[in-house]
Amino acid sequence: MRVRLEKLTKRFGTVSAVEALDLEIASGEFVALLGPSGCGKTTTLLMVAGIYRPTEGAILFDDRRVDQLMPKDRGIGMVFQSYALYPHMTVAENIGFPLSIQRGMGKEEVTRRVREAAALVRVDQLLERRPGQLSGGQQQRVALARALVKRPDILLLDEPLSNLDARLRHEMRGEIKRLQKEVGITAIFVTHDQLEALTMADRVALMQDAKLQAYATPAELYARPANRFVAEFIGSPPMNFLDANLGARNGSVVASSEGIEIEIAAARLPRGDGTRKATLGIRPEHFEIVAAGQGHATGEVYVVEPMGREQMVDVKVGERLLRAIAAPGFPATVGQAVGLRVASERVHLFDATSGVRLA
Amino acid sequence: MAAIARPLPRSGGVSWTSAIPYAVLLLFTLPILILYGWLIYGSFFPSMQGLRPVGGFTLENWRFLWAPETVEALRFKPPIIPLTINTFIFALSTALVVLLISSMAGYALSRIRFPGRRTFLGGVLLLHSFPSVTLLIATFIILRQLRLYDQLVGVILVKTAFELPFGVWIMKGFFDNVSWDLEMAALVDGASRLRTWWQVVMPLVKPGLLALGLLAFVSGWNEFLLPFVFMPSGTQQTLSVVLRAILNEGRFVDYGLLTAVGLYYVAPILLVFFFAQDRLMKVYAGGVKG
Repeated sequence: MRVRLEKLTKRFGTVSAVEALDLEIASGEFVALLGPSGCGKTTTLLMVAGIYRPTEGAILFDDRRVDQLMPKDRGIGMVFQSYALYPHMTVAENIGFPLSIQRGMGKEEVTRRVREAAALVRVDQLLERRPGQLSGGQQQRVALARALVKRPDILLLDEPLSNLDARLRHEMRGEIKRLQKEVGITAIFVTHDQLEALTMADRVALMQDAKLQAYATPAELYARPANRFVAEFIGSPPMNFLDANLGARNGSVVASSEGIEIEIAAARLPRGDGTRKATLGIRPEHFEIVAAGQGHATGEVYVVEPMGREQMVDVKVGERLLRAIAAPGFPATVGQAVGLRVASERVHLFDATSGVRLA
Repeated sequence: MAAIARPLPRSGGVSWTSAIPYAVLLLFTLPILILYGWLIYGSFFPSMQGLRPVGGFTLENWRFLWAPETVEALRFKPPIIPLTINTFIFALSTALVVLLISSMAGYALSRIRFPGRRTFLGGVLLLHSFPSVTLLIATFIILRQLRLYDQLVGVILVKTAFELPFGVWIMKGFFDNVSWDLEMAALVDGASRLRTWWQVVMPLVKPGLLALGLLAFVSGWNEFLLPFVFMPSGTQQTLSVVLRAILNEGRFVDYGLLTAVGLYYVAPILLVFFFAQDRLMKVYAGGVKG
């Protein structure tokens, strides 16, 4: 089922939680609402669920307008951050609860569907237990089964992984993604973890301060961030930012900052007045550490953090720290003078004041 | 979680340090236990002098159970069994109505933000601080107007009204502890508000309901003033009123009889407390997770 949000707005008193949000989610698509806490992502989800009524705007499922409907009339399933399993019911009763409400479903049919849903998330051995006797991961699975048992058109997930430990989170990440594709359900999930969003979602809607900042595939968000906030939020460790002046030289544009000069193909830049201020953005993994004197900048190694697969190296250039990723074998010692090189097409340029992407 | 409050099962012998709290508690409870023992013992003798009985063993004091007409103080009162049933009806109805109203009002006060909510909560608390004596005359006039004076139903309503402030506050507290997520989940699962309240929220406040119900029942069972004032003539009288009659009538008080009737009167309450002490504790501990 296709989901469309049109100018969706929610205000609590005078505070705007979501402001004029436009979003279209294709049928069967898995979309992440990503953003720092308080950005309005959960509010958006709760409006889609029907818990909150929008202040303005519309929510459409296919062409049916649903924003004034009760949650029960929307055909949605939802997994809550706390899982919200009913503590006084067994696992089977929990999963069966949405069915028990529906009129005209026989006991046998309910039992069959509960078993089916439980098997789907592999909790069919736990049906007689109570939520209090389950581990976090098992509770999560039961919550998923309960959300899916009535075969909803849309699945909503609110921070589904944030209460799990790191290992389990990794496992459930894959599990939820597999499940979503297997069932072929349109799904929206909320997260503050960019890694979760990038790894699981088909498309990511990045929000900040009640507004949508970007809506694109994970690859595009990473490769061509629409503005400085997106560039900063997506990617770990975060992108390096440098204030720079743009100047023309020999038919190309040179971005110069304290200790760094990078030539950028003029064709990448929109036609401008030649000289202006801009913010350079360079991802740590795009810096190459070379011998001192070579590359675009020279500095000294400030700190080295080995991370197994790679090393994170902070290089002090002038008064600034630039972060670079080096291979695990790279011989870096603190205080050593090194050069930093970056391919010019890997450099992102943002407007210094508005933060909008220039190139 | 209830399990946390209970001590872990012990494999070895009882250590001295863990026995100390029990010893202290026993020290303080012993006088009460001795008094109860003395009461029960004494009820089977014509009279007591200090801790020693006078005369031989007798069931004379308990004759109000099978031959109430021979007890002077009870001669013009209804027989003991109907009185007991009246008291039961009175206490039970009070408890049920208190539960019904408190659980609905408490839920609304906990979950719905309506204008005047804080004022209402404050007002309810203020009402709770009025002793029922101060409101007797006003209540009397209202009951007369409603033609409920001298009727059990009327007294039940009055008693309920006095119990409600406490009940509403207690239940609001229990509802406050139920996570919003559970209600949202039920709504998304397809339940209506009413079904959510009944099938998801109410089972979670069961400890509160049980405790409040018991307290209201006990309070109704013990109530003397309201039935005494608002049901003067009646065939619908309750035990507490009769107990007072025994104290008041005749030239001297028959302490043997008083002891026996008193024991008969408190027995149900003692039983209730004995079987429900765990749950009653929860009202004061304020726990909700069962």
